[in-house]
Amino acid sequence: MALTVLCISFLVFLLLGVPVAFSIALSCIATYWTEGFPLELAFQNMISGMNVFSFLAIPFFIFSGELMLHGGIADKIVNFARNMIGHRRGGLGMANVVACTLFGGVSGSPVADVSAMGGVMIPMMKKEGYSADYAVNVTTHASLCGALMPTSHNLIIYAFAASSSSGLLMGKDIMIKGVSIGDLMFAGLLPVIVLMVCMLFAAYWVAKKEGYPIRADGSSTLDKFAGWNAVLTSGVAALPGMFVVVIILGCIIMGITTATEAAGIAVVYSLFLTFVGYRTMTWEKLMKAAAKAAKTTGVVLLLIGVSTMFQYIMTILEIPDKTAELLLSATTDPIVMFLLINLILFLLGTFMDMASTILICTPLFLPLAIHMGMGPVQFGIVMLLNCALGLNTPPVGTTQFVGCAIGEVSVEQVMKSILPFYGALFAVMAVVTYFPAFSTWIPSLLKGAPVY
Amino acid sequence: RDFRSADVHPQDYPTVMTVKKIGEIVSQKTGGKYNVKVFGNSSLGSEKDTVEQVKIGALDMVRVSTAAFHGIIPESMVPSFPFIFRDIKHFRAAMNGPAGDEILAAFDKAGFVGLALWESGARSVYAKKPVRNLADMKGMKIRVQQSDLWVSLVQAMGANPTPIPMAEVYTALKTGLVDAAENNYPSYETAKHYEAAPIYSETQHVMSPEVLVFSKKVWDTLTPEEHKIIRDAVKEAGPYYIDLWTKKEQASKDAAKKAGATFVDDVNKPEFVAAMKPVWDKFSPTPQLKALVQKIVNTK
Amino acid sequence: MKWLTWLNSRLSRWAMYIAVACLLGIVGVVFGSVIWRYALNDAPAWSEQVALILVINVAMFGASAGVRDEGHIGMESLVGLLPAKFQFWVGNLVGLITIVFGSFLAWGCWTMAVSVWTNQIPTLGISEAFRYLPCVAAGLMIVLFSIEHLIAMSSDTKVIPSWH
Ligand code: NA
Ligand code: NA
Repeated sequence: MALTVLCISFLVFLLLGVPVAFSIALSCIATYWTEGFPLELAFQNMISGMNVFSFLAIPFFIFSGELMLHGGIADKIVNFARNMIGHRRGGLGMANVVACTLFGGVSGSPVADVSAMGGVMIPMMKKEGYSADYAVNVTTHASLCGALMPTSHNLIIYAFAASSSSGLLMGKDIMIKGVSIGDLMFAGLLPVIVLMVCMLFAAYWVAKKEGYPIRADGSSTLDKFAGWNAVLTSGVAALPGMFVVVIILGCIIMGITTATEAAGIAVVYSLFLTFVGYRTMTWEKLMKAAAKAAKTTGVVLLLIGVSTMFQYIMTILEIPDKTAELLLSATTDPIVMFLLINLILFLLGTFMDMASTILICTPLFLPLAIHMGMGPVQFGIVMLLNCALGLNTPPVGTTQFVGCAIGEVSVEQVMKSILPFYGALFAVMAVVTYFPAFSTWIPSLLKGAPVY
Repeated sequence: RDFRSADVHPQDYPTVMTVKKIGEIVSQKTGGKYNVKVFGNSSLGSEKDTVEQVKIGALDMVRVSTAAFHGIIPESMVPSFPFIFRDIKHFRAAMNGPAGDEILAAFDKAGFVGLALWESGARSVYAKKPVRNLADMKGMKIRVQQSDLWVSLVQAMGANPTPIPMAEVYTALKTGLVDAAENNYPSYETAKHYEAAPIYSETQHVMSPEVLVFSKKVWDTLTPEEHKIIRDAVKEAGPYYIDLWTKKEQASKDAAKKAGATFVDDVNKPEFVAAMKPVWDKFSPTPQLKALVQKIVNTK
Repeated sequence: MKWLTWLNSRLSRWAMYIAVACLLGIVGVVFGSVIWRYALNDAPAWSEQVALILVINVAMFGASAGVRDEGHIGMESLVGLLPAKFQFWVGNLVGLITIVFGSFLAWGCWTMAVSVWTNQIPTLGISEAFRYLPCVAAGLMIVLFSIEHLIAMSSDTKVIPSWH
């Protein structure tokens, strides 16, 4: 009964277009009412969900991303990437991939990445003879790297969602409980690099096939190499901006700060860099960046808060156990099971937002994954890749919407040439799913103890 | 119906097993009318969260450390005073006697029904180096939980209290962000802190009890006979808990030792005890609290 | 309508001022406590709790300003397929649902604030209710902002955001 109320009311609210956070909250309140719980419990859940020290990293990452955006770091990174590989076949496409990945380390989220890089790169690519759908696809997919780069607030959200999942890791017989944010940050590094290489390959392959860039006069000549001097100068100009990632990871490795405090240091660094270093920041821009960051923080944290209600109900109704039972009755082979979990995550991702998918699915599938021998760090990267992919799938794909809006093309148009890019993502997803070391090797090395 | 109870520990932890045991007894005595279902692993929230849920009647029961009540019930702080118990025998005598009853009674005013105070061993300091006297503690950064009592306690030892969330402690110890942490054997072992801080010095500074509380809102809907059944069941399960706990403590210590941890026994405890006077004074400001402290100290 | 717009534009601007001030405050507190730990080898015990209360303020005031400026993520693609007349009614319904949410938020957080009134936040010594009070304010603002949106919709105008 409770489950029916929860699901039906949630779906109705969602389909009506009620914002996701309000839909979750109201359907949970309805469920509490049918179950006879005091309704203020919902808000106790909400505040307890927000009252987590690690979550301070979320406003920090969002804020430092906004500062970098308003401080003009995006342009500097584009310049550098363009000078480096802009002269090859599909050069601007590949430059876009590199720039998006690098900026992914600066900004907090894929959506910010698309609006920052897409705003610069997509019009430029269209002007230089690349089709709009190609330009949009390259940008939106490369920006997904931002979901895994160390400044991602999605990693923090996952760490929170995973914090109460526990179990005995199959094959190792180790008791697992929750996941460390530091481990997660390092776990994303290798997959991001490989993802970038795969995206570069996809960008090159499509450009080669279509003969991009095709100039207005129909010719297809390439730009001249700007020279190593230009590469070096633009690289030096862009470097301090990208240094944010080094600062965050460095502070954690050297024991100067906790992961959360490192994010705070990143904000102070961004402020210092844009005010004193680049001198591109003004008080007006700072207020704008802070206001935007505060609003985004509100939207994201409210979503986290209300998802805590959802998780509470799932625990009370023992949904994770029941889901696990159901899936285990379908298969007990880890390989098939992981495929199944990936498939479900992918399907949910097509119509759900990244943060909501992470918050709802982690407590649902992580205990099962642990039972099947996949640890929370590895599962986190699998989860984030799936959710990232969901950002680029209709009917609800946030980065795809933003990309299409900037490129002034329809989603249908973009879907026509999307397959090579999906292919690149699927390839990385398969590797991360079936080779644990791929995500756990770097954090294990740094921690000096195995990470799962 | 099932009474819902919350715990932060896993399903095989002594506190969880004992609450389940209480459920079995209650179920048997009420002919299956009432049972207890324990949600472990912090799945319903942190200790602070579940205490708030019990207050509004969303949860029926909760088992937490008395530390979760420090900001709510001043009496709950007294058994967490450093070195207030001479040894575990003294602890059991005091907490099962009039002093324990007085503390449990104090829960009533705050909207809870206190059912039992159970032991959770002694907390000691662990670091990369041994701690034998106050001089060794000087200037050390010690991780503490978010509690005024612990902050004052660590300050009184001459060290620097550094509040860090439990999840970040391992890394913080490993990287040297903090020099030491303090906890009992089972937490030291399960969190694998011995890998980062292999020397456990038996300072045994705090023996704060676990507490089992019932929601007053729900309690008031039950009959006096049912109250008696629940209270008797809790009492009956007491020895069962002590047995489980003693085994757990020993098993944890052995496991940590086997994994390479060293336990330092020759700590100069009188020196530590002498330094704790200001902490006692600060947290027992009223005559009534001072009387409670005396009641515990005077317990044979 | 006019006075409501007057009130709401000021409310939402002040909500953003508070949110921005708290955001800068969190950065200051966290950065400060790191510096303190290294410069004076002494971390302030209260920094974590202060930062946590500030972040609730950022979130709740940011989220309520997000309601006025339509910043919350929803799934509007299906409603977009409906004929204009239905879209109008669905829009009104969503506005009403948002009012219900805002009211619940204000009521629920007030009830919780009362329940935890005598509980003290460790290391700060102030009441736990301070975590819930910003949400009461946010709930009331969400109600006011949604009413404004409903009125604007029926008169076929748009609410002008006070922060872009
Ligand atoms: Na990022
Ligand atoms: Na999607």
